[in-house]
Amino acid sequence: MIPLLAVVHVRNKRGPGLHLWVPLFLLWLLLAPAILLLSPLILVACLAGRVDPLRALSIVWQVCAGLTNTYIEVSHPGVSVLIRVV
Amino acid sequence: MNENRRQILEMLSAGQVNADEAERLISAVEKDPPPSNGSASSPKAKAKYLRVVVESEEDGRDHGPVKVNVRVPMQLLRAGVKLAGLIPAQARDQVNAAMREHGMAFDLSQIRPENLEELVEQLNDLSVDVDVDDADKAKSKVKVKVFCE
Repeated sequence: MIPLLAVVHVRNKRGPGLHLWVPLFLLWLLLAPAILLLSPLILVACLAGRVDPLRALSIVWQVCAGLTNTYIEVSHPGVSVLIRVV
Repeated sequence: MNENRRQILEMLSAGQVNADEAERLISAVEKDPPPSNGSASSPKAKAKYLRVVVESEEDGRDHGPVKVNVRVPMQLLRAGVKLAGLIPAQARDQVNAAMREHGMAFDLSQIRPENLEELVEQLNDLSVDVDVDDADKAKSKVKVKVFCE
């Protein structure tokens, strides 16, 4: 399952914090037609690089799906940043 | 060192067994490790995440500890390794050459998902202590832990 949402949380002691919900599903929806339009170019690039286009597609999909449940947190007494992909 | 091996070596030093017997005993102990209580005897569950935890203990004035906590799904790492397999041969040679220039004699084509599994198996709990001693900063200690869960 590809990630549908990313949560970015920035906390700052001196200023206002930031809490962002990034709807990744909208990004996928926007990217889908672009990829469809670019597919002939992608196909040519794959053939030029001697790469199986279906395998490439499958691996790119796996990378996108693998992003789910990624969690990055960096905290400092002044600032802390949290990124969560769900 | 585990307890059985230590006992065998003590027996050897006390002259109770000779070197050949001690070797045989050690190999027997290694071949047939005693079952320990709890989860260790059961097959280890497949790791789902790679965790990197960095903790610094700064001695400095108003600075506090810096913490980094990263959880990367193993699925992403596996896909990344597969992605490396898609790099065209010419580009791969260039990457290998660039890495060699920087002192890393490494062949990207040798990276396979099986290698990753082997690496993960070995990576039970890796902990690295780093002492940072900057001229303008107070002396601090950084602990880097890399493990799977």
